[in-house]
Amino acid sequence: MLSGLRRLLMRLRAFLAPTHAERELEREMATHVLMLVQRYQRQGLSLAEARRAARHALGGIDQTKERQRNERSFPLLEDLRRDLAYSVRTLAKARGFTVAAVLTLAVGIGATSTLFTVAYGLLLKPLPFALQPERLVRLLTVSPNPEGPAGSPRKDLVILTLAEAADVGARVRSLSAIGLVSPTIMGLAGQDDAGRVPGARLSAATFVMLGMQPLLGRVILPEDETTGRDVVVLGHALWQRFFAGDPTIVGRAVTFDTVLGRRVSRAFLVVGVMPPTFSFPNRQTQFWMPPPVPTAGAPPWRAPLLAKLAPRVTPQAALNELERALRDLRPQESNLRYEMTREQELLVLAVRPALLALSVSAFLLLLIAALNVSNLQLARALARQREFAVRASVGASRGRLLRQCVTESALVGLLAGLAGLALAVWAVTAFQAFAATSSRFDLAGAGELPRIDEVAVNWPVILATIAGAVMVATGAGLAGALRVSSRHALSAVRLGLAGTSTSAGASGAWLARRALIVAQVAGSLALLIGAALLTRTFWNLTHIDPGYTRDSVFTFQVNLPASHYPNERLRTFAESLTARLQAVPGIQVAAYANQLPFVGLRDTAGGLWRTPDATRKAAPEAADARLVSRAYFDAIRMQLRAGRGFEDRDGPEQPRVLVINETLARREFAGEDPIGKLVYVGRDSSPWQIIGIVADVRQFGLDREPEPQFFIDLRQWSTGLPLFPAGAYYVLRTGTSPDLLLPAIRTIARTIDPEAAVFNSATMNTITSLNIARPRLYAIVASGFAAIGVLLAAIGIFGVLAYLVRERTAEIGIRVALGATRADILRLVTGQGLTMVAMGIGLGVLGAVALTRYLESLLFGVRPLDARTFVMASALLLAVATAAVLAPARRAARVDPLAAIRCE
Amino acid sequence: MSGEASERIELLQGTLDLIVLQALRSMGPLHAYALATRLEQVADQQLLLNQGSLYPALVRLEQRGWIKGRWSTTEHGRQAKYYSLTAAGTRALGQQVERWRRLTGLVDRLLLLES
Repeated sequence: MLSGLRRLLMRLRAFLAPTHAERELEREMATHVLMLVQRYQRQGLSLAEARRAARHALGGIDQTKERQRNERSFPLLEDLRRDLAYSVRTLAKARGFTVAAVLTLAVGIGATSTLFTVAYGLLLKPLPFALQPERLVRLLTVSPNPEGPAGSPRKDLVILTLAEAADVGARVRSLSAIGLVSPTIMGLAGQDDAGRVPGARLSAATFVMLGMQPLLGRVILPEDETTGRDVVVLGHALWQRFFAGDPTIVGRAVTFDTVLGRRVSRAFLVVGVMPPTFSFPNRQTQFWMPPPVPTAGAPPWRAPLLAKLAPRVTPQAALNELERALRDLRPQESNLRYEMTREQELLVLAVRPALLALSVSAFLLLLIAALNVSNLQLARALARQREFAVRASVGASRGRLLRQCVTESALVGLLAGLAGLALAVWAVTAFQAFAATSSRFDLAGAGELPRIDEVAVNWPVILATIAGAVMVATGAGLAGALRVSSRHALSAVRLGLAGTSTSAGASGAWLARRALIVAQVAGSLALLIGAALLTRTFWNLTHIDPGYTRDSVFTFQVNLPASHYPNERLRTFAESLTARLQAVPGIQVAAYANQLPFVGLRDTAGGLWRTPDATRKAAPEAADARLVSRAYFDAIRMQLRAGRGFEDRDGPEQPRVLVINETLARREFAGEDPIGKLVYVGRDSSPWQIIGIVADVRQFGLDREPEPQFFIDLRQWSTGLPLFPAGAYYVLRTGTSPDLLLPAIRTIARTIDPEAAVFNSATMNTITSLNIARPRLYAIVASGFAAIGVLLAAIGIFGVLAYLVRERTAEIGIRVALGATRADILRLVTGQGLTMVAMGIGLGVLGAVALTRYLESLLFGVRPLDARTFVMASALLLAVATAAVLAPARRAARVDPLAAIRCE
Repeated sequence: MSGEASERIELLQGTLDLIVLQALRSMGPLHAYALATRLEQVADQQLLLNQGSLYPALVRLEQRGWIKGRWSTTEHGRQAKYYSLTAAGTRALGQQVERWRRLTGLVDRLLLLES
């Protein structure tokens, strides 16, 4: 079979480089013909007769060449090449069509490709930080949520100690490993803007469970856990940024400040560095440490559970077994309900509904674009009807003509695919840039897109995009191609029937085109309604009364080395900093607090109670404690609803007073006046008096109901619990721009202590903006899609009606000649157009009704079937469509009857 | 016997290859015209073949590596492409002839049985 293989390769070579072979064939046949001619001349024929005889003997010169060509190369590929070359020429000539079709399709392809790439990276791609990541599960308790929307219970991760985890692990067979992971924050001193670095404390079993190999050194091992040595495994980004990628880092000690709990500067031994893809449990985590060994008498370390399912075990089976083990372990909590979720789902829970909704929108946009291109190609095919008939009559087969059309469509698809790909690359980069700017790990519900760094336009995406584009374009062009190469169409023109608009085939085309328009209008209305709902959501979010004033408020934090600043000295620094800042011209008020609005920390300080009790613990849904400096309310202009705020007289030796917010007042003091009542904080038995009620601040997100909070002036706060677990947040009321402020603040901070580092600086407006970054993104993307969709639909309507008018110019001329007025013609054409639009709107409304329910979780302040939104969107689309209908209608009305009839 | 147009036999594709190989073996290097003329001579009008169908056969055989084409000058001073048998071609010829004989022998036997 070697000769067969050789033949294959030679054929390939002849296909790829035909010039040489073609020239040789030319020469060879020339000689052959010459010899034949001479022979016939010798036999007595004239030159002309000899030539004819020679051609006859050969069986035709061109035919012979063709046969040789087919034999030496691949006929199918040669045809394809010829079709492609022809398509390139015809497309280049019909530049208007080509540009319109390619751009239209490129937009649809680009949108779809982007969304599918992002959705794949976030939702479908296996987590990169474990072997068999689909088997990682989390356990949650499910409890009713008094402050949340009805029907959405409160879910919390189950927290265990090391001993409990070992116990459960031994008992539960359906879990092959149990790990405990708890986020932590450490201070990394000595760098500007370093401040705090998020990391994780995890049990050694967790690393074993994940099974990932380190880049350098080793992972956390069980002996690290038992000996309680201070070791750390660095993340790749941290290693690059702060240690310059030093390859000898393993074995060296690094100083971290513990900031949660007792502030201490400690040396940690670096035992390993992980590869860049190890973003466990999320991409903010920069280092990993074993659990801290508790000091004597202190409670043991506890952390949320992360487990791995044993092979072939379902989550349900594991849940049952785990529930039983937990009930044995904690009999007092046996009435809790549990739920098990895969880690992959939990990570992206917040963005999944939005991603799916946006993907559907992108797909709708693609559909509209494809319908537009289909219409364009149908129009073009009909215009080339004559050309096709002529080619059919000189011998081109139906199949050949069809193949030609398909090749041309495929070429359009290829170009659109490349353009769409470029669009997708840009869009994915934009998504990632968005995610980079909108993530601050201390802020709750920020705009962060989990796993966005795993999204990439790689080879599978490229191939799929181009293949998809080619398929869509080919499909869109198929209708036109089939119609134009149909037997009827080819013969109809050959018989010389005048005009395609009167033949049966063309009326079918007309119906198809109108159906396409109806579908486009419906699709774009659905997009418009979705976009309107998301935009209204965003608008609602930005117009909620936050309970304080956002403008002219600048916030920041300061990192101080733990060696100089144990917990006791933090307040001292804060006081002197705010005192000095207060003196700066341009800064009206300077204050500080343990948290800001939108910071995602919960600090109940033991909870707020009506009666003293020295033994109780705070429930998870207890009120949040806000420890603030005297000027805090003033700095953010917190709205006071009743009573008073903190004044100079509320000093350390004075009666202890606190302020509660409206939600807490409603919850604990329904029906009574809270002002003047005495309450107790935590286990402390000395009372506090309520002196005022302030407006609610939506602490964990603008779209979440406000939580109960109480405020205490720091001058009166004296328990030993650590202040500022996340660091003090400084608040300045100032009109000065941040660019001028920041250097001044840094200088002042360093005057007090040279190692002070300012970080997390942002205006309150920026922080608020971060909190609603995601709804803003969704609104922008959806609106962009809707705008393009409506534009495409309008162009489609315009195109089809313009074509109609052009085709029926004669008929219009006759009507006018028979007495029709301009208004009649206008009404005729407009009627045609608006019928399509009306049907499209009707269909679109039905579609939207069916689909918007899936947006429910993304909406705020507006329901999925909000009538006003539906009506306004429909009205907008109607207005745009009417404009698109009127232009050709007016042109029709201006048709000169004589000219029209004459050109027939 | 003299052949009339109606009695001419058409060739199957594979057998044309065989005939060309054989002609090149017995006659040495030939160009397309010479080959066609030779075939006409030998078949004595019994073959229905237009000379053009040699070209696909030649390119096929050349691609398989059984013949090799070389440009050379004819006795009249013209440039023509001469085809000659290669070593592989000689072997292939032997195999093809063998196959042909077996095929015809088998068909003969079957026909004999049926008659």
